[in-house]
Amino acid sequence: MPDLLANLGLGFSVALGLQNIALCFLGCLVGTLIGVLPGVGPIATIAMLLPITFGLDPVGALIMLAGIYYGAQYGGSTTAILVNIPGEATSVVTTLDGHQMARQGRAGIALGTAAIASFFAGTVATVLIAALGAPLTKLALIFGPAEYFALMVMGLAFAVVLAHGSVLKAVAMILVGVLFAAVGTDLETGQERMTFGFSFLTDGVDFSVLAMGLFGIAEILRNLDQTETRDVVRERIGRLLPGLADIKQAAPATLRGTAIGAILGILPGNGAVLGPFAAYTIEKKIAKDPRRFGRGAIEGVAGPESANNAGAQTAFIPLLTLGIPPNAVMALMVGAMTIHGIVPGPGVMTKNPNLFWGMIASMWIGNLMLLIINLPLVGVWVRLLKVPYRLMFPAILMFCSVGIYSINSLPTDVMLIGFFGLMGYLLIKFGFEPAPLLLGFVLGKLMEEYLRRSLTLSRGDPMVFLERPVSAVLFIIAFAILAAALLPSLRKGRDEVFTEA
Amino acid sequence: MDAPLDGTSSRRGAVRAPQSLVAGLGLIGLGVFGVWASSDLDYGSLRAIGPGLMPFWLSIGVGICGLALAIAGFTHDGAPLQSFSVRGPVVITLAVLAFAITIRPFVLGGITTPGLGLIVAGPLAIVIAGYAGTEARFLELLTLALFLTAGCMLLFGDLLNLPIPIFPTAVVQAMTGVLPARTLLRIAAGVMALAGLGLLLVQRRSGRREPVDVARHSLTT
Repeated sequence: MPDLLANLGLGFSVALGLQNIALCFLGCLVGTLIGVLPGVGPIATIAMLLPITFGLDPVGALIMLAGIYYGAQYGGSTTAILVNIPGEATSVVTTLDGHQMARQGRAGIALGTAAIASFFAGTVATVLIAALGAPLTKLALIFGPAEYFALMVMGLAFAVVLAHGSVLKAVAMILVGVLFAAVGTDLETGQERMTFGFSFLTDGVDFSVLAMGLFGIAEILRNLDQTETRDVVRERIGRLLPGLADIKQAAPATLRGTAIGAILGILPGNGAVLGPFAAYTIEKKIAKDPRRFGRGAIEGVAGPESANNAGAQTAFIPLLTLGIPPNAVMALMVGAMTIHGIVPGPGVMTKNPNLFWGMIASMWIGNLMLLIINLPLVGVWVRLLKVPYRLMFPAILMFCSVGIYSINSLPTDVMLIGFFGLMGYLLIKFGFEPAPLLLGFVLGKLMEEYLRRSLTLSRGDPMVFLERPVSAVLFIIAFAILAAALLPSLRKGRDEVFTEA
Repeated sequence: MDAPLDGTSSRRGAVRAPQSLVAGLGLIGLGVFGVWASSDLDYGSLRAIGPGLMPFWLSIGVGICGLALAIAGFTHDGAPLQSFSVRGPVVITLAVLAFAITIRPFVLGGITTPGLGLIVAGPLAIVIAGYAGTEARFLELLTLALFLTAGCMLLFGDLLNLPIPIFPTAVVQAMTGVLPARTLLRIAAGVMALAGLGLLLVQRRSGRREPVDVARHSLTT
C-alpha cells in the first residue's frame, strides 16, 4: 500500500507537469470532438495523429493518445443523449434511455448522470490499474513463450465470442488478420513472404495503414451509402446536476456498471465493447419494473456509461503489464510506444516508471477534465453535429492521407489505405466485422514469434503447451469459451445482449 | 439497420443465404491464393518452424471457414446480398490515388509524376473526394480545401516540422535562397486562408439553408 501511494505520487508529479497537463487536455478535447462526430472513431483518429506525437516525449505522447481514447468514449454519449446518434459503438445503448430522458426534458440530468457515472468509473478503473499493475507485472515475469502464446490464443478466442454476428465469420476474420501479419520479411530467416516482389511489402503491412484503411476509409464508404437527412434540433438541456432521488436510483447502477465494465475491459479480445451492452442487460433484468427501460430510466444511462468508461481504461492493463494489446486502439498505443523505443510489457513499469505511473495518473486527471470541460461545452458539441457529412468526409480523407504519409513518407502507404478501405467496405457488405481482423493482425506477429520460440525450446514437442500448467489452463479457457460460443443456447444469449440495442 | 435477416422473401432456388455463399467463396479464393503465395516457402519442422508453415496453415484455415460459410449458404436461411454503390468507392479511391501520386515524385511504370506537394495534393484529394457524395458543390469543396490545406500546412509543416513536402519541387528549387521555406509556407497558408474567406463571403451572399445530412448510427470503434 505505501508503495502504491508512492508510485501514484510519482505518477501525479509527472502528469501534473505543465506540458503533460496541456497534452492531456488536448487529448481529451480531441477525443470528445471525435466522440461527438459520428463517422470518425478513435482508431482512425489515433492513427491520424500518430505522426503528431513523434516530436513529443513518450510520456506526453501516450498521455495525449490515451486522452483521445477515453475522451471519445465520453463524447459519444453526449450525442447519444441529445440527438439519438451514438458517436461511438460503445454509446449505442445510451441512446435507448438517454435520448428518452432528453425528450422528457431531462437532457441535462441524463448528461450529468452520464458524466458523473463515467467519472466515478474512471476513478475506480484508475485505482484498479494502479493496484493490479505491480502483481500482474510480476506474473508476467514467470510467463515463458508458451504462456504468451496461450494467452494470445485465449485473447483471440474472446474476440471471437465478443464479436457481433456469426462466429464462423469472426474466426475467418481473425485468421485473415494473422495471415496478413505474416506478409513481409520473416524475422528469423530473413526470407520474404508473400511480397510478390513488391518492395513496399518487404517490411510487411504497417499496422496504422491497415487500421486507417479498415476504419477510416471504409467507414467513409459505408456512411456514403446511408447518410440520412436529419434536422439537428437543439433540445432544452435544463438542469445538469441530478437530484437526490436520481442519485439514489443511479448510484447502484453505476457501481454495477463499473464492476462489469472493469472486468470485461481487462479481458484480452476487446471486452470493453461488450461492457455497456452487458451492463444494460443486467440493469434491465434486475430492475423491479423492467418496463421503465427504453422510456427514460436513469439506470439505463448510469450503468452502461460507467461500464464503457471503466472498460476503456482497464483495457490498458494487459497492454502495460503483459505487453499484449487487447484491442485495436491499444495496438496503436503499441505503435506509439515502439516509435519512442519503449517495448510494451512487464519491463515498462520497472524501466519507465515515469511513463507507467504518469499515464495512470493522467487518466484520472483526464477524467476530471472531461467532467469539467464536457458539461459546459455541450452546446458547442451539439453545434458541431450540424457540420454536414458531405464536408466531413473529404476532410477525414485528407487527414488520413496526410497522417499516413507523414508516418513513413511513402506514397504507397497512402495507396494501401485506399486498398484496405475498399476491402473494409466489401467486408462490411458481406457481414464481416473488421475489428477481429485487426486484432488478429496485431497479435499475429507476436503469436508466430512465441509459437516458434516455444517449439524451439521444447525441441519440437507441441505438448509443451499442455504440460506447462499456466499455458494449459489458458488453452482450456480458450477452447471452452469457443465451444460455448458454438452452443446454440449460449449463442442466442449472446445475440440477445447485442441486439438489445 | 441491415436488410431483414431472414431472406425468406428473396429466397430463390437452392441458395438460401446468398450473402454467406458469396462470402464463403471469397474466403476460399483467399485461402487458395494464400496457399499458392506461400508455396515457395520452406515449411520447416516442428523443431524449427520455417517461414512457410504459418501462412500455409492459416490459408488452409481461411479456406475451411470459407467452405463452411459457403455450405451454410445452401443449408441455412440468411441475409441476401446487399446493394453496392459504385460511385463512392470509385471516387474515394481516385481521391486517395490522386493524393498519393502528387504528394511527391512517384515512379509508375517509367513515368514519373511531378512532386506537387501538399499544397496541390491536399486540395486535389478533398475536391475529388467531395464528388463521392451526391450533393457536392464545387465552391463549397474548394473553400473547405483551402482552409484545411492551409491548416495542415501550418500544423504539419510549420508547427510539427514533419518531413512532408509542402510545395512543388520546381517551386522549392526556384525559391531556394530567395525566401526561407518557412516564410514561404506561412505566406502561402495565409493567402490560402484569405482566398477561402473570400469564397466563403461569396457563398454566404447566395446562401441557402438546408437540412443537414448526418452519418447515421455508425459503429465506429
